[in-house]
Amino acid sequence: MKTTVYYHIIILIIIFSSTLYSQSDSWFLLPDGLGISNQLEYSYNIDNKIEIFENWLTLDYNKNIFNAGLRFEAFQPNDPDPSISRGKVRYADIAYKYFAVDIGDIEQGISITAGNFYELFGRGMILKSYEDRNIRIDNNLLGVKVKANYMGFLLSALTGSASNAVNERKDILHAADLSYNGLDFVKLGTTFASNKPDIENMARTTLASFRIQPSYWNFDGYAEYAFKSNKDIQSQVFNNDKWKIGEAFYGSLIFYYDMFSIVGEYKHYDNFAFTSNDGTIFYNTSPSLRKEYTYQLLNRHPSPLDQSNEDGFAVEVNYNISDETSLTTNYGVTKTLPTSSYFQRVNNISIPVSTQLQEFYFQATHNWNESFTTIVAFGYNEELSTNTKNITPILENKFYFDDINTIKVVLEHQQTENLTTSEKYYDDVIGIEYLRSPGFNVSLVTEIQTKEPEQGRIVRKLWSFIQFGYKLGNHSDLSLLIGSRQAGNICIGGICRFEPAFQGIELKLLTRL
Amino acid sequence: MRLSLIIICIALFSTFISAQSEEDLKGRKAPNFKLTDLNGKFVELNKETGNGPILLSFWATWCKPCLEEMSEFNRIYSQYKDKGFKLLAISTDAEKTVAKVKPYIKSKGYDFPVLFDTNSDVARKYYAQQMPYTVMLDKNGNIVYSHLGYMKGDEIKVEKLLLELLEK
Repeated sequence: MKTTVYYHIIILIIIFSSTLYSQSDSWFLLPDGLGISNQLEYSYNIDNKIEIFENWLTLDYNKNIFNAGLRFEAFQPNDPDPSISRGKVRYADIAYKYFAVDIGDIEQGISITAGNFYELFGRGMILKSYEDRNIRIDNNLLGVKVKANYMGFLLSALTGSASNAVNERKDILHAADLSYNGLDFVKLGTTFASNKPDIENMARTTLASFRIQPSYWNFDGYAEYAFKSNKDIQSQVFNNDKWKIGEAFYGSLIFYYDMFSIVGEYKHYDNFAFTSNDGTIFYNTSPSLRKEYTYQLLNRHPSPLDQSNEDGFAVEVNYNISDETSLTTNYGVTKTLPTSSYFQRVNNISIPVSTQLQEFYFQATHNWNESFTTIVAFGYNEELSTNTKNITPILENKFYFDDINTIKVVLEHQQTENLTTSEKYYDDVIGIEYLRSPGFNVSLVTEIQTKEPEQGRIVRKLWSFIQFGYKLGNHSDLSLLIGSRQAGNICIGGICRFEPAFQGIELKLLTRL
Repeated sequence: MRLSLIIICIALFSTFISAQSEEDLKGRKAPNFKLTDLNGKFVELNKETGNGPILLSFWATWCKPCLEEMSEFNRIYSQYKDKGFKLLAISTDAEKTVAKVKPYIKSKGYDFPVLFDTNSDVARKYYAQQMPYTVMLDKNGNIVYSHLGYMKGDEIKVEKLLLELLEK
């Protein structure tokens, strides 16, 4: 314990001392073409005495048509959550490395990447290989990728292998995408992908899609249809009567006129999760049609994306009444699929259609004058995975004292009803933040949860933390959190990670050159 | 003990990096990229450089500070675009929210180029781990400034730097 305290003190002294000489004359210049970034995250949970240290160091070098780079990751000790640690308590390795050649320009060119890479085809219905550190997802592929463009055509082809839950690369993915952007009124594209399992004689899972993106006057559209096949399942489940085992459709239509815009989206995902043979690597992430919220309580009961069993729509309207006032409203419904779906037939189940998620959100923003802004928001959702109904009003005020000083006050209230247990409770969050451009901010966030397990007996729980943000010199951003935080989900694009309750200190340092 | 040494080394390294002033780091060539704009046309950074400073603004529709910052950048763009200044707003909206980019830009009446970086490939090249993230390039395509986050007043430094670059 004593040692822990010592090196906490040492780290803080080192970090803060940088400001003392950050403006001094430098004696060091990075070699031309070299880029460096480092992300350090350290936390110590006082309650359960769990220490987590995570660091990502990235080096990139580019010279003319050549690019190369690597990412060294050190997780010592690692997050105990098995979905993050992947079975390794201590981990330090070069997890990502690549070499690339890029020849030509937008008219005619080719690029070849060997090593680790990411790729997205269309809207991710067939392939989305990406990294998101906030939710600790990294399904990078190790292999070769080639991209070639000529006269409006773009061809991408790749072969690679992603890491599974125990950090082993077993299955092999082949994929290709061809798109045509040469016409003003329509863009076209097609994708093909195939996963070869590590087990001999096991059938490949193959997916293909076609997409069209028309544009006319103030309308824009996007439609993509995709299907999935697997000969083993076709023979075992459908006696070879079907040529596919799953399908998906996503479409969106946009209209904008002056200060008004509307977006409508529709989805139908039937047995369409594209995974490795062991089911631990997800190659695709289709548009989830869930509203992305910036407020804390609106993310408390999220609905995770299920690409095998969803049908639904979402509509969002934006209207700027004037330069001072704007309105946004959103409504969406996601349901599970009927018994006739591929999903239920392949899994031999019979479950009636139910509402997975129903959500409504309204937000009004008004600038009273140059120094005062108010945001009023209201959220309602019914969510099946936690089986809750949530009503959330929000009030946010910003006071701009002068050109560089701001105070922000956010009040969030949420009434929750658990539809399984009929339990009702409510949460309140109060956040006060002071921001001083360009280098400093401090926020105090308090959450109170009130429950009444028996009539007349009220139980309250309180979480509170203070967080400092500080710019160190010109290239580093430090964040320090001290206090306690309620458990909750971090969700991005329908993909969620559960964060357990926390009490302690958390330090983050981002550096880039 | 080993862990504490690693932490101290990384902290020292970060401190050392943060101590470099902008002037010292002037000259790092901005990585080239090819992205599509709102109309589906390809835009290549190398073809945009050479006439004046370029501001790369990484943003997303779900990021509130990004939208505040964009309003300020629009004002700066309107004021200096005739003097050779270019603003490339790079949307990092992924498949979930990418459909909302064009309606948002149109409803706000912004006329600067907006590019799609749907899988954050360019954001990764520029180390834009969080949004908003701003990078200023001089007329030769060298990175002279980068800034993470937005709070009111950050645009003052950007405008000041822009004026210096326009005078050169």
